[in-house]
Amino acid sequence: MFDSVLTIALGAILINNFIFSQFLGCCPFLGCSTKIDTALGMGLAVTFVMGLASAICYAVNMLLIALELEYMSTLAFILVIAVLVQFVEMFLKKSVPSLYTALGIFLPLITTNCAVLGVVLLNVQNNYNFIESVVYGITGGLGFLVAIVLFASVRDRLQFADYPESFDGFPIALVTAGLLALAFMGFSGMKIG
Amino acid sequence: MAETKRAPNQIVKLALVLFLVSAIVSGVLGVVNMFTKDRIAELEAQARAEAYNAVLPWDGEYVNVEYDKEAFETVDAIAQAGDEGWVVELTFSGAQSSITAAFGVAADYTITGASVISHAETSGLGAKIVEEGFLSSFVGQSEGMAVTKDGGTVDSITAATISSRAMANAANTAIAAVKALG
Amino acid sequence: MNLKKQFTEGLITNNPVLVQRIGLCSTMAITTMFFNGIGMGLSVLIILTCCNVVISAMRKAIPNDIRLAMFVVVIAGFVTIVDLLLQAFVPALSASLGVFIPLIVVNCIIIGRAEAFCQKEPVVPSFFDGIFQGIGYTLVLLCMCIIRELLGSGTFGAGVFEIVDGSFRAVLDGSAAGIRIFPEEFGATIMIMPFGGFLTLACLLAAMQYALRKSAEKKEAAARAAKVEVVKEAAE
Repeated sequence: MFDSVLTIALGAILINNFIFSQFLGCCPFLGCSTKIDTALGMGLAVTFVMGLASAICYAVNMLLIALELEYMSTLAFILVIAVLVQFVEMFLKKSVPSLYTALGIFLPLITTNCAVLGVVLLNVQNNYNFIESVVYGITGGLGFLVAIVLFASVRDRLQFADYPESFDGFPIALVTAGLLALAFMGFSGMKIG
Repeated sequence: MAETKRAPNQIVKLALVLFLVSAIVSGVLGVVNMFTKDRIAELEAQARAEAYNAVLPWDGEYVNVEYDKEAFETVDAIAQAGDEGWVVELTFSGAQSSITAAFGVAADYTITGASVISHAETSGLGAKIVEEGFLSSFVGQSEGMAVTKDGGTVDSITAATISSRAMANAANTAIAAVKALG
Repeated sequence: MNLKKQFTEGLITNNPVLVQRIGLCSTMAITTMFFNGIGMGLSVLIILTCCNVVISAMRKAIPNDIRLAMFVVVIAGFVTIVDLLLQAFVPALSASLGVFIPLIVVNCIIIGRAEAFCQKEPVVPSFFDGIFQGIGYTLVLLCMCIIRELLGSGTFGAGVFEIVDGSFRAVLDGSAAGIRIFPEEFGATIMIMPFGGFLTLACLLAAMQYALRKSAEKKEAAARAAKVEVVKEAAE
């Protein structure tokens, strides 16, 4: 049990990193990574929502299977995520206003982050049980956090780099992300036990 | 947006509109599902039957047998094909996703064939595990298989060592599970 | 309504991937072979067109406060329909694209077009917007696929085209081996891996930026020349 959880965690953070190997969550990854602070905030918010969404959608999926409505799962999951993000927003606003102001603008964006819907769908596809689902959700989010913070720190230095004018902005950011992906490929041989 | 106090009937109206749209969408989905459900199930059964027949040709019926589910977690089913041998179906993790594959095991505990039923590996890389050239390298092998990269005799696919290794391990599990039947 | 303008916008000047820079996840993730690119592109095209029409038709009935939730419900509905149909009739594509079919729900292209275009415009322009934006997306996917597949495994059109016994053949079930341009051993497998996705898209975006800048410069130069002409004439 412990082994399988560890394998999932290591896989989600390093080996099959959501961004660098599965391309899930690229839009916020490229959009919100110009400063390290915002990247950190976004990463934390996504981790939180991914963990929570994994837990709730596990229950929703069980319910759908019991009712033989599996074909409704995509619709149900996206609604759960949308409602969840809304609730998290309201809850933070009331009880942890400091965190709310820090994350504020990112929260609504998380609904359309494909990493969140992706993790939920992958949980179902890989037949994970409740604990595995939650672990995969949280560690997948942590992988996103690691990726986006690393990327933001590299992007900080891009202003000193000398590259062709046409690559200005997005293209050079993508090349940077590609090089990071290349570095993360080094983890692919890792194995537990 | 959430702060502005709205008249209660306004909120009820919003909820009703959303509910109505969701209900219509669900209804349409239900109808589409009714038309496609049987065909999807049929295709799945067909894929499974084809895989079974590819790994261990047998004219009769494949009879599912009991096995030790605790010891062999990755094994989904073991089906006996008369005196010919067994077909073992397993779901295990590859490089990116879980792979479901079937292995034919002859009465002398050698592999008669391998076939991938479903997978979601990267196309162009791990997805090459479905290719005939790779699958045929399992034929005739016995327990203790390893990919060529690890010094074994199963061809490893270039740049998809992890997927190939997972397949070799699964083949070993298949033989072990059949041996454990006694 | 201006069809020609919408056409150029969708394909070039306001291309969803190259200019609006949305829907990047799927653009990089699935473009490892021709079959995936064309399948994904057509799926998005169909879903985008349907969603555009429905959302545009309902645009007066959708309360502003819950419009995003409504969009998501409508999009998820169409995505599920396409997903079920693919599973039933093109199982190879459904197996190959896997989780990226349901993920079309959160593809920013569809929700972005709904928000930016369909909630303001009537049904007919929305319909064409869906078609042209969808074609623009598909073309980018195909470009990515062709580049990555050629450099990565040395083939063209894997899954769709092949040459059997000297004759050209096109199939729709993804079983074709592709036309071999050079032997597989010479391919740079890295192009099929995630790094190749990032790099190819970066180059395409850079090329687009270069082209747009050049055409802007040319226009500016032409405008300046025209101005000089006018001044000259006035002086005379």
